[in-house]
Amino acid sequence: MTIDPSHIRNFSIIAHIDHGKSTLSDRVLELTGTVAKRDMQEQLLDSMDIERERGITIKSQAVRVEYTAEDGEVYQLNLIDTPGHVDFTYEVSRSLAACEGAVLVVDATQGVEAQTVANAMMAMNADLEIVPLINKIDLPAADPDRVRAEIEDGLALPADDAVLASGKTGEGVRDMLEAVVYNIPAPEGNPDGPLRALIFDSYFDAYRGVVALVRIVDGSMGKGDRIRMLATGTEALVEEVGARRPAETPLSRLSMGEVGYLVTGLKDVSLVKVGDTITAAAGGVDEPLPGYREVKPMVFTGLFPIDGDQYEPLKEALEKLSLNDPALIWEPEKSHALGFGFRVGFLGLLHMEVIKERLEREFGLDLLATAPSVEYHVYKQGGAMVSLHSPQEMPDASEIERVEEPYLKAKILIPPDYVGAVMDLTVARRGSFVNMSYLSPTTVEMIWEIPLSELIMDYFDKLKSSTKGYASLDYEFDGYKESKLVKLDILLSGKPIDALSFIVHRDKAYDRGRVLCDKLKEIIPRQMFEVPIQAAIGGRVLARQTVKAKRKDVLAKCYGGDITRKRKLLEKQKAGKKRMKSIGNVEVPQEAFMAILKVDE
Amino acid sequence: MPHDPYKALYVHLPFCVRRCRYCDFATEAAPSDNPAIERYVEDLCLQVRRASKEGELGAVETVYLGGGTPSHVGISRLSMLLYTLSLSMRLEPDVECTMEANPESFDARMAADIWALGVNRLSLGVQSLDDEVLGILGRPHDAQAALAAIAAAGTRFDNVSVDVMCGIPGQSVASLADTLQRLVDAGAKHVSVYPLAVEEGTPLYRDMMRGRFPEPDEDEQAEAMVAAKELLERAGFHRYEVASYALEGFECRHNKAYWTGKPYLGIGRSAATMTQNDQRRMRVTDGQVTDDLDRRQMYAEDLMLGMRMSEGVAFELVEEASSVLPDAKQAFARLIELGLVERTERSYRPTEQGWLQGNELYGALFDLA
Repeated sequence: MTIDPSHIRNFSIIAHIDHGKSTLSDRVLELTGTVAKRDMQEQLLDSMDIERERGITIKSQAVRVEYTAEDGEVYQLNLIDTPGHVDFTYEVSRSLAACEGAVLVVDATQGVEAQTVANAMMAMNADLEIVPLINKIDLPAADPDRVRAEIEDGLALPADDAVLASGKTGEGVRDMLEAVVYNIPAPEGNPDGPLRALIFDSYFDAYRGVVALVRIVDGSMGKGDRIRMLATGTEALVEEVGARRPAETPLSRLSMGEVGYLVTGLKDVSLVKVGDTITAAAGGVDEPLPGYREVKPMVFTGLFPIDGDQYEPLKEALEKLSLNDPALIWEPEKSHALGFGFRVGFLGLLHMEVIKERLEREFGLDLLATAPSVEYHVYKQGGAMVSLHSPQEMPDASEIERVEEPYLKAKILIPPDYVGAVMDLTVARRGSFVNMSYLSPTTVEMIWEIPLSELIMDYFDKLKSSTKGYASLDYEFDGYKESKLVKLDILLSGKPIDALSFIVHRDKAYDRGRVLCDKLKEIIPRQMFEVPIQAAIGGRVLARQTVKAKRKDVLAKCYGGDITRKRKLLEKQKAGKKRMKSIGNVEVPQEAFMAILKVDE
Repeated sequence: MPHDPYKALYVHLPFCVRRCRYCDFATEAAPSDNPAIERYVEDLCLQVRRASKEGELGAVETVYLGGGTPSHVGISRLSMLLYTLSLSMRLEPDVECTMEANPESFDARMAADIWALGVNRLSLGVQSLDDEVLGILGRPHDAQAALAAIAAAGTRFDNVSVDVMCGIPGQSVASLADTLQRLVDAGAKHVSVYPLAVEEGTPLYRDMMRGRFPEPDEDEQAEAMVAAKELLERAGFHRYEVASYALEGFECRHNKAYWTGKPYLGIGRSAATMTQNDQRRMRVTDGQVTDDLDRRQMYAEDLMLGMRMSEGVAFELVEEASSVLPDAKQAFARLIELGLVERTERSYRPTEQGWLQGNELYGALFDLA
């Protein structure tokens, strides 16, 4: 059955984290009878455990529901759920490109936040019709009038007709769907033209190969068609197309305007890239849909198994995760201190944390992560440029002409009272102020340029604490700029520990070195021998600390029944040591490698 | 399982006049005329008789009446128990028979009675002769009572041991030294010195968590242990175990049984029994198996426990252990390198560092299995 495109609505729900997007999505499934209430699992669309625990969406999803509107007509609604974090900005943009409209969810108690603005801007840039929705109106602290004013002032969106809803009680969900049907336009395109379809997500399924989520822009696509991906040039046979309701339901064809899934049988997810255009292998188009770009990792960290025997399992686990995550890149790395491991690139810190957590949880690995670093561009004397992913690769100072580091353009929203606090913090993190404007009498938008390496320190935590939690932050990549950067080495018992070295601005090297030595002194437990800790640049020691030798470590009593207790104690001690890495004679706990992230100014 | 004969017998008397503030032992505060004590001791006597009938007491060389506070249960019940023991096993003078007593419930009368019934070694819980320190610990006696108890013990017993605590916040090294010196002068032949351990669930622990009591400082405890050792050695004592000092001929044979892999039978609430044969070693407490070791683990444990004692472990034992623990000699070599162990002509023994860093040393040997 081919549906009349005038009865299709493709839309997304966009929101700041925690504003209730997932709960609203669940209510839509429930109200349209797509999923019976008794089968509802909390936040059905967020299927990964970690997503559910953290209340965030990492992968895109697309669910089709049939909705009988108040005009008596049945509409096909495709709800596209997008990742809810700045790490996944590009993925969000592609998901939005598959839609004609978006429901912008704003929390009735919290109001407009940085990501709300960022998401709304993205949606506007994608020419989407925006339906404002004020959520959580059941809460006692809900203030819809204030939030309406914020939407109008801050986003320049008319909010008189904003839908008032509560994902929790289900109130207003029908109003939302009516607004979707009447305010969001139906898809437009050429149903009979050559095939053009946008890939907005892809993943690997062990049984069926790569599965893509697609939006048909022109033409149609069905089982048995030969297709071609324009960016990668990959050809494939369509093995199956269908829609998720939310269980996968095969269809004979997907036609112009529809959203659905495509099974290709391909074995490599990097051949089916998010943002790429699908066309027919024969007689297709050559002109890709706009907006495609290569995904590049921003943050790099060394991942090492605590137990050397887990190197191969770690490699296999990374291979498995990569099947589903083309943004995850990695290469082998060897550290004198930590042995064999991998240098892994991530889209951002959240992406990194999620991957590390999945490696530990789903694959049972005990991992040690070194402090995250960014990609530095080192220009050597004579002009050759080296991309540095790890401080260890830093050439000798005498060979270096200049070093450039990635900068971000950061957008911070705060109440006016905190402008000074944000100034102090961000200047201390080498940020340069770009400009500031009032979005409303209660909301200031500040734009900064700040080195990515400073942001991945505890900048966000600090920003939150210095603004009593009011600040929200959004950022985008802003290019490379020259900086005076040096490599700071950390020495334990006189030996440089490569996995603890990091790259830092020259003016901050002394402070960072000193603070890190203090931190390490707290983290490294007392050992049988004194452990000197030193911070040094190229052999010149900037700071030192000492972990005093442990003088006594014995529980003296050991009679009849105590012997069992003693054994248990020693077992515990052994398990505790397992969580530490033995470097030379020094037992170093895992946190030591992350200590640089937690240096207070 | 067929097992080697028990060499040591432990009898537990889990009653005290009140709980000390650091105590997490299996004991309960009960007035000495509480009928529960009566029932408990009667039951102990039945168990001793049964063990005897089953032939489990035939090879016992040491007996230890511990607590709790055995002296707290009173002379009539102690008499019943000791009389039962003397009917159930060979309790002649060559069998070491220790009883623990506390100053608040011990006098010359009790000394005379229990001595007549076969006890030949007395272990007094003194802990300190500094009333302020005794107050911190919540002991039910003062220094004067402790000295009186030692004098009372001296009316019958030659072999008197005292327990002392060190590393207590509020206790200076001078206070500890004063305690030890006066105990030596009062005629103690054996001294056990333990650093205070603040165990979870005790009043002291709660005070510590609320910030009303400082956490014991490891450096101060090490200093106190070293000071105790120096003072006692000057007084002619030798340290034969990490916390045990004795004049020549007054080492506690019962405790040494624990550290040399000899099987022991425990009777009474929460008393541990260790049963073994060539292949297997088990510990059982209150009917629950708490340890079940194979040959490798047995050897590793013997090495570990042996290194608590100044005699250490003989090369023959290490050689024997090497048949199932091939890395044993290598482990000792590494421990020597770390300065925890030294070689004598016939054995490995702990160094001063080895005493203080005991967990490091025991852990390395324990890891062999």
